[in-house]
Amino acid sequence: MKLRINIPDLAFAVFLVALGALALALASTLSVGTAAAMGPGYVPRGLAVIIMIYGVALGARAMVAGGVSFPSMEWRPLFLILGSVAVFAILLPVAGLAITSFALVICAGFAAYDVRVRENAIAAVTLAAFAVVLFVVALGLPIPVWPW
Amino acid sequence: MDLIANLATGFAVSMTPANLGFCFLGALIGTLVGVLPGIAPITTIAILLPFTFSLPPSSSLIMLAGIFYGAQYGGSTTAILVNVPGESSSIVTCLDGHQMAKQGRAGQALAIAAIASFVAGTIATIVIATASAPLTWLALKFNAAEYFSLMVLGLTGSVVLAHGAPDKAIAMVLVGLLLGLVGIDVNSGAPRMTMDLADLGDGIGFVPIAIGMFGIAELAVTLGKVQDRSLLAVKLKDMWPSWAEIRQCIPAMLRGTALGSILGVLPGGGAALSSFAAYGLEKKVSRNSAQFGRGAIEGVAAPEAANNAGAQTSFIPLLTLGIPGNAIMALMVGAMMIQGIQPGPQVIVNQPDLFWGVITSMWLGNVMLVVLNLPMIGLWVALLRVPFRLMFPAIVLFCCIGTYSAGNTVFDIWVMLLFSALGVFFYKVGAEPAPFVLGFVLGPMMEENFRRAMYISRGDPLVFVERPISALLLLMAVVLLVILVLPSIRAKREEVFQE
Repeated sequence: MKLRINIPDLAFAVFLVALGALALALASTLSVGTAAAMGPGYVPRGLAVIIMIYGVALGARAMVAGGVSFPSMEWRPLFLILGSVAVFAILLPVAGLAITSFALVICAGFAAYDVRVRENAIAAVTLAAFAVVLFVVALGLPIPVWPW
Repeated sequence: MDLIANLATGFAVSMTPANLGFCFLGALIGTLVGVLPGIAPITTIAILLPFTFSLPPSSSLIMLAGIFYGAQYGGSTTAILVNVPGESSSIVTCLDGHQMAKQGRAGQALAIAAIASFVAGTIATIVIATASAPLTWLALKFNAAEYFSLMVLGLTGSVVLAHGAPDKAIAMVLVGLLLGLVGIDVNSGAPRMTMDLADLGDGIGFVPIAIGMFGIAELAVTLGKVQDRSLLAVKLKDMWPSWAEIRQCIPAMLRGTALGSILGVLPGGGAALSSFAAYGLEKKVSRNSAQFGRGAIEGVAAPEAANNAGAQTSFIPLLTLGIPGNAIMALMVGAMMIQGIQPGPQVIVNQPDLFWGVITSMWLGNVMLVVLNLPMIGLWVALLRVPFRLMFPAIVLFCCIGTYSAGNTVFDIWVMLLFSALGVFFYKVGAEPAPFVLGFVLGPMMEENFRRAMYISRGDPLVFVERPISALLLLMAVVLLVILVLPSIRAKREEVFQE
């Protein structure tokens, strides 16, 4: 059977409806006011409703627009790059900049398909040292360098 | 002459040793990052944004402008040498520039790109200086209704000129507007859609969004693609074009500059549109048109002049009206606001030093690019030889440190992560981030002007069409949208973006 759904469009439409619904729920406690004296909720709710309607329309069109499948994903670079950002967020407050930078580079380095382990380790040490010297020593940013 | 007095004020600011230094540093770092293949100027600016925040306002903006030109120039270098356009504005430079490089004329191509950019930059600086004063005068007459309509026009422009599907671009604008409203409402003090997170009181951070969507997300997507990087050897000895070649290029440069200066001012316009249009024009009018696509030197000069002129004149709506015309200018608005400057006509009135300082520094930045980058081409080539697998972890690291340092909170890193993931999703479904960022920046301003206009008119929405300037602006927006849906133009537009 031939696919009749435009999946990327449908995914985007679902995102729009979900976002609009979330915004509507979050803004539900805000007063709307009148057109002449708008409350804090007037514009957010208005926008949320427009976005949901727009999403429904896009979604309806996507159902009949003809088959387009979702583009292939490169999971490894995606996962490891986003992962390395998470590593940074988790480690920085507890381990300081030096160790955190090292861990981030190691993790991000494996996102490349042609990663070389030794080279990556050297890069991690160099970049960690460079980051500490540049940002903490030279630019004086208030970031702890070591966990202690 | 007012103009000369104003420029003198400006040079007094931009020529101080410190500001010259920041201008140089910006141009240098901008080129450095811009040279990396697959890193567009907007990505470069987003990544480097946080490092300018600790500077005083004028130095910070001067450095950012330098980064902008540097990134643009770096993109052209990559286009010529590696045939990988940094962003859409260098796509046409690839056509003839890379052909020239293949014929062993890479030096000439790079030199003419720099010269054309410089010529265009010089003229565009004068255009900005002359156009700003009358526009500012006009803008001071603007009321809330006019501002609202102007922003509608700006956002419509960004939709029309988005590369992807326009229907998705409209949705992205709306999403941007909505997310821009998160945070404490200035009128009532009520926290809006903050999910009771104190960190969201001031709204979602602009820096984590910009870096997430244009920095991290771009990297994650680029890494998945196969990299074709056949770097050409450049002989640096014979890099200067002959006088005959330069003379041959002068008309092309001037036409490119004129076209770029006009298109740059349009809402949603800027460098990319200008370079496409200039290449198309040059191909039609040049006596040498058969050579286009086979290494015609005018084919490099015209679009390079146009994209620099367009990049520069796109500052005009930002500096005079406070309205960013494209996503890069939206980043500039973000930077200005973090510096405590509300972009708009009052800047030129209240802070002439800052205004003219930034404008004159644009010209100085262009001088620096010519003087410094040509001798440094060897360095950029060396940089291009460093494998990307070593480059991108460093970029991820700088993105993280930059985001953290902008607000000194790990919360922003999580926000950046969320928007990186969203950025990848948007890329995969064919929705462009640029209209989103524009909407995000304009959201609060637009709501405020909308509320004020409606308050003054006592709730009558007709106020937007009863005031003549406002009505004209809205009419222009409608015309843009109508043009967009007309089938013939639509086909043409797709053709242009296909090229």
